[in-house]
Amino acid sequence: MQPGEANRFSTHNKRGARGQVPGAGKSGFGSQVPGVGVNLISPAPGTRHLTPDPIGYAMVLPYLLHLVVFLGYPLAFAFVLIFHRWNIYTPMKWVGLGNIRLLLSDPLVWRALGNTLYFLVIHIPLQLVIALGLAQLLNQKIRGRAFFRASYFLPFIISGVVVTILWQQLYAVETGIINVLLQLIGLPKIGWLTDRRFAMPAIAIMATWKNVGLYIVLFLVGLQAIPSHLYEAAELDGASSWQQFRLITIPMLNPTIMLVLVLSTIGGFSLFIEPYVMTGGGPANSTLSGILYLYKQAFFFSKMGYATTIGFFWAMIIFIVVLFQRRFVETEAM
Amino acid sequence: MSAQPLRLVGIGLLLALVVSCMSPHPAKPTGPSGKITLTYWSATNAQELDFANQVAAEWNLQHPEVQIKVEPVPSGQSTEEVILAAIASNTTPDIYASVFPGAMQDLLDAQGVVQLDTYADFFDVLHERMTPELLNQYRSSDGHFYQVPWKSNPIMVLYNTRMLREAGVTSLPTTYSEFLSAAARVIRDRDADGRIDQWMLTIDYYPIWYKRLFDYLPLYLAASNGQTLLEGRRVMFDNEFSVAIFRFLHECFARGYAPRQTFQGDVFLDGRVAARFVGPNSIGHLERYRTADFEYDYGPIPRPDQAPGQPVSYADPKSIVIFKTCQYPREAWEFIKFLISKRNDLQLVELTSQLPIRARLLEDQTFADYFKRNPKLVKFAEQLATARSIESIAELKEIFDAIAQEVEASVVFDLKPPEQGVHDAARRSQQILDAQ
Amino acid sequence: MKRFLLYAILILGAIIFLYPFLWMLAATFKPEMEIAGFSIIPRQFTLESYRLVFRKIPITRGFINSLFVAMMVTASVIVFGSMVGYALSRLRFRGREMIFTLALVTMMIPAQVTLIPLYTMMVKFGWVNSYLALIVPTMMSSYAVLLFRQFFLSIPQSLIEAARLDGCSDWRILFTIVYPLSKPAIMTVAILTFMGVWNDVLWPLMVIRDPQLMTMPLMVTLFAIGGQAEARLGVQLAAAMLLALPVIGAYLFLQRHLIESIASSGMKN
Repeated sequence: MQPGEANRFSTHNKRGARGQVPGAGKSGFGSQVPGVGVNLISPAPGTRHLTPDPIGYAMVLPYLLHLVVFLGYPLAFAFVLIFHRWNIYTPMKWVGLGNIRLLLSDPLVWRALGNTLYFLVIHIPLQLVIALGLAQLLNQKIRGRAFFRASYFLPFIISGVVVTILWQQLYAVETGIINVLLQLIGLPKIGWLTDRRFAMPAIAIMATWKNVGLYIVLFLVGLQAIPSHLYEAAELDGASSWQQFRLITIPMLNPTIMLVLVLSTIGGFSLFIEPYVMTGGGPANSTLSGILYLYKQAFFFSKMGYATTIGFFWAMIIFIVVLFQRRFVETEAM
Repeated sequence: MSAQPLRLVGIGLLLALVVSCMSPHPAKPTGPSGKITLTYWSATNAQELDFANQVAAEWNLQHPEVQIKVEPVPSGQSTEEVILAAIASNTTPDIYASVFPGAMQDLLDAQGVVQLDTYADFFDVLHERMTPELLNQYRSSDGHFYQVPWKSNPIMVLYNTRMLREAGVTSLPTTYSEFLSAAARVIRDRDADGRIDQWMLTIDYYPIWYKRLFDYLPLYLAASNGQTLLEGRRVMFDNEFSVAIFRFLHECFARGYAPRQTFQGDVFLDGRVAARFVGPNSIGHLERYRTADFEYDYGPIPRPDQAPGQPVSYADPKSIVIFKTCQYPREAWEFIKFLISKRNDLQLVELTSQLPIRARLLEDQTFADYFKRNPKLVKFAEQLATARSIESIAELKEIFDAIAQEVEASVVFDLKPPEQGVHDAARRSQQILDAQ
Repeated sequence: MKRFLLYAILILGAIIFLYPFLWMLAATFKPEMEIAGFSIIPRQFTLESYRLVFRKIPITRGFINSLFVAMMVTASVIVFGSMVGYALSRLRFRGREMIFTLALVTMMIPAQVTLIPLYTMMVKFGWVNSYLALIVPTMMSSYAVLLFRQFFLSIPQSLIEAARLDGCSDWRILFTIVYPLSKPAIMTVAILTFMGVWNDVLWPLMVIRDPQLMTMPLMVTLFAIGGQAEARLGVQLAAAMLLALPVIGAYLFLQRHLIESIASSGMKN
């Protein structure tokens, strides 16, 4: 589940399509994204003459029922589980704040959080620079744009499992292509997945490779929506191309950058299959992710209550981080 | 084209109808002619699957009314995560033949397995295989038997003897200091890039709890002459034995005798590592894939210098259970008896080079010919005599997880001194035990 | 010179994104000893890796399972999502705005919260090891609801009024008048949903243990790490290749649609 796909699609969890960019709806996130995002919240025609329309109820009923059963109920049950120890097969045991206390003092939870932030610190800038760079190049008059776009986009649609198995080979210490290349240019071999300093960066690089195609496409759409007269005017004023980039392109792309930020962040917080397949969370817990830890607690040690507590905590962190990013980027834009 | 979405929708609804008509637990036990089908989960390695398939095929031929269906246990990183999830959801198979006895308590707590000593011939069948004393080790906390002790893979050290000889090491190490001095001579930088690329020992140090059953645990049993890690609900391993083990392994990593990496493919077969901790099942794999000039042998688990007595090791036993979801436990029991018959035990040794848990295996005529042809397995059969199993408590996985975390942190990555690592693992384990 | 540099970078980029796949394809046809190395043309061509994969896991079955589950979920998300979208955009009834707000709010709840409770629910329902666990919890999508609603708002009201005058029921209007006009929205929802379900591993890993019911990515994941591949690289890569092939195939045909749907959707937030 490469980050990108993570969030966006099914977030690798069933609720797939229900999606989940926290804050996405707020203050019309969608509506500010020219060209990219779809405005999802413009008002529907007036509702002044409200007449109960049975067909309307019939049409929304299945959705509402599903929402209650598969979102409302689990949500409520999560609140119950947080205060219990439960292995599913014996009765629940009330532990009060036990799980929460355990969580706050569990070094591995904080480790997972630190790892995720480390991932994001590498992944997001890399993602933004490469995506924006290649999108800029593709936005010029060139031949074969469709080919380039399609090839950059390819890894994005491939299942994360495939990418993970493939990169595990590319990262192999002695025979992996990446190390052989490093050697050719005179650099030492790196224990990509076995050195605790490099394992998380290795996963971040792989995730960037997998998802950057999507962001290239998003940026390309954003770039094409910038009116060319802005550049023409700047040209007349004698602005250098760097100034044009800094003063026109970046502000105009602000909504897209926001989108990329949010998607990458949620992707980072949803890391699971990469460490599960490649490193098992090692070496020395350097690639332990929140979801992997949650999975371990639930399925290795049958601690459903504690796993739920971790999930809840994780969701809260995502919410806060994304909210913070939105604030930050919006003020920057002013 | 405009009709296409509609048609899709139609197909979708139709399929929805089909699915909603399918019950969650389709098919199963009886087929059309009242035939019984029992599902048998086997370990996933190729040799054991071959064995399971052969035994099942033979049984199926003789018993058209009770058919056995072999499936590899659908494991992820560990099989235990699968089994418990399967019990919770009533999706266990009928028979599972690779139960780690240390996890039995979980299966009992989950009320997932069938009591076996209710079968009139249970004790007859098992006393034919082992002494009552040995069998007693597999008695569960409520005094009853829920598992059939089946086979064992006592852990020893596998050496590439050609590599040792070329390094001037003539006898297999038995102590830490012999092992370390042999290691110092074995390691090489073959391609002269300044990095060691031929090592003495490789350990899969990822902190997955069960991996420590194959290095730390045998080392502990060998060093302490068979002491247990726990006594009741008290942690006992915060002692000089553990510290000596951590120091020994730490030395291996710190001096480059053991690589701080794991590998794709098999580095032992590639001749780049001279030793690893394994059970006899490695023989089958090695014989199948080794090149003609590849020489190997097995030695005892290294111990501190001047350790007394016979070297003890971990037996890595595996048991057979019948799950409560089985609707025909009596038929399953009949199949298990067939599975552990002497003939099939021989078959097991032949195909998987694993040892059936049978008293006086080496004196038994049935196996004599095999042991004559495979002298390497004799060492394991001898080791089995002093090998131990492990206590079964529900927290075992978490305790080994704690040990695995500390082994990785202090032994492999040098993040804390060995003493501290041992101490932290013990403290954490005690917390786990006290929390329940 | 500048243009040369431009193309050099673009081509380098294409190599970085395409070469690993070509290498993987080649590796699946190479004997084990030959896999290390850059070559994308096997010197010794062998089908052994694929033969082993087909012998060891029911991968065809996995493909069918994946296809079935993804189609079911996609169809359901489209049908039910468009119904709600239509009601929210074209019908007037009490509570409409509340449902709209509800849809927005549910999109903000990170899935991690309900992951374990939902799993325990599947256990209690007895849905573990059944298609139901894979399909039912994903059958609705708030995102699809919002997307359809938004798209339907752009359809001229006069068309719908005309149909009403002709005596069409709202159901008929939705399925025979609105649908043909909404191909882009349907396409987008279909592609996003299908891809999301097709690639998901975590959820199937939690609820499916029976090899006969496993989706393809789950089967390949367990094959690679569960010991059945016996640490043989070619076999692991062959399994991964089989998993990638249908997607690559679909991509070759739908490439434009796919990229544009995904880009224009603003991501399936």
